Amino acid sequence: MLKVIQLDKTYGSNKRSLKDVNFTAQPGEVTAIIGPSGAGKTTILRSVNQLIRDDSGQILLDDQDIRQANKAELRKIRHHIGMIFQNYNLISPLTALENVLHGRLGAKSTVAGMLGLYSNEEKTEALALLDEVGLKEYAYQRCDQLSGGQQQRVGIARALMQHPKMILCDEPIASLDPKSTKIVMDILRKLAKEKQLIILINLHQVDIAMEYADHIIGINSGAIVFEGATKAVDDDVLQKIYRQADDAKAVVSANED
Amino acid sequence: MIENSQPKPETIQPSASHAKKITLVTKPRKILRSVLAGLTIVTIYSLATLNNSNLQLSEAFKSLGANLNAMFLHPSVGQDSWALLLRALATSVSLAMLTTLLGALIAFFIAVGAARNLAPNWLATSIKAVMAFVRAIPTILWVLIYSVVMGLGASAAVVGLTFHSVAYLVKAYSESIEETSQDTIEALKASGVGFWPIVFQAILPSIVPALLSWTFIRFEINFANAVAVGAAAGADDIGYYLFMAGSFYFNFHEVGLIVYLLLAVAIVLELVSMKLRGHYLKHN
Repeated sequence: MLKVIQLDKTYGSNKRSLKDVNFTAQPGEVTAIIGPSGAGKTTILRSVNQLIRDDSGQILLDDQDIRQANKAELRKIRHHIGMIFQNYNLISPLTALENVLHGRLGAKSTVAGMLGLYSNEEKTEALALLDEVGLKEYAYQRCDQLSGGQQQRVGIARALMQHPKMILCDEPIASLDPKSTKIVMDILRKLAKEKQLIILINLHQVDIAMEYADHIIGINSGAIVFEGATKAVDDDVLQKIYRQADDAKAVVSANED
Repeated sequence: MIENSQPKPETIQPSASHAKKITLVTKPRKILRSVLAGLTIVTIYSLATLNNSNLQLSEAFKSLGANLNAMFLHPSVGQDSWALLLRALATSVSLAMLTTLLGALIAFFIAVGAARNLAPNWLATSIKAVMAFVRAIPTILWVLIYSVVMGLGASAAVVGLTFHSVAYLVKAYSESIEETSQDTIEALKASGVGFWPIVFQAILPSIVPALLSWTFIRFEINFANAVAVGAAAGADDIGYYLFMAGSFYFNFHEVGLIVYLLLAVAIVLELVSMKLRGHYLKHN
């Protein structure tokens, strides 16, 4: 279980801050963070694996506080948190298989990692994961020759290669067409149920969030304005989440990502 | 879907003055024009004051023609043998190859420290400053400096050439590294991957084509330098024989032959580099 308690974050000029953010995300569920641009969705997600350092609060993953971890411990924790991105962030000249194997790098010694030495079991597992996301025949294709949806599935396979407890998804479908969106979201939902993963996902599209998420976190101007089951979200709640930021102190910047 | 973007009203500033004369000449263009004017004046002045009293134009052109004829239409080995010249040529090529490989290897590790997206700012800046200083001094001078330290010969040439190659390649490599996307680096960082595995597994594969082409350009430069340095440091390579034939024995036939040999090597280098790059870009 992921538990975020009283997270606060201030950027230099008081812009785009997180104010007293509390929420939980359960294994086996898709938890979606929704809210207007610049509300702090990305900041929350990146605080969870400490790519962004926040000011105060607690982030408990299975009762271990990520914020208290030292550098070596943080690397170990991060190894069990997969992450997928809007722009996939694969190494494009490498093959799909090599990119999936990158999910093991965090578990290796420096030298083995530098040289990219993978055991046969790891290679077999990588191929099996590519098969699982429906890309077996593309294993030896360069990633820049794959479509966006295919690249995102390689990204998911890379995250799975880490044997994660949790997968963070930063706007995973923002660059995808409706068909690829459905494929990717179906895979993510299936993974949450079958592997009992925590799936924490930033979404722009309310309709997708309503369709796929079990749990919704609504955020506006850096503060959580709604947390609850998806079926509890109605028009009033959406109005509250997406109300204009004029009355709030924080300025909504149009290009958060 | 709910949108929250609201276009901001734009205010139109009234233009300040209508009476001001409008000019199309921008500042850079003004500077360019004054530089050109200055150069023209200098050229005219030096042509007008040139001392040409002893120059006989027709005579000069005739001997130029004779020399070119001897060099390029009648090349021969002169007082040296083919075996000797080819061996010296091989020495030059190996000198260039050795210094480029050594330089590339050292430069890659230094470049990691000089890339702003990997290293702390103070380190990157100081490495870049030192390398700029080393680069500012020509390769030949470095070889001469090392000749003083190590004595004339091939080792001074190797160290001097490598030294300048490192400085050159660090700049090229670190700029290639800086062009790799921060996002892909972040993706691996987020999965707990350490620094050196990221460098070798994420950055290196992304920049191999750029590294290859920079290294090959440096190889060509090093070959040219090796020829020039051979004479200066007495490295017993083709440059030494070129220097002897040209300045000691005045054997223009041999000079011509050596020039053709160098040209042949340059063409081969170019072909190899084109093939390698094409191969790598296509098949990886």
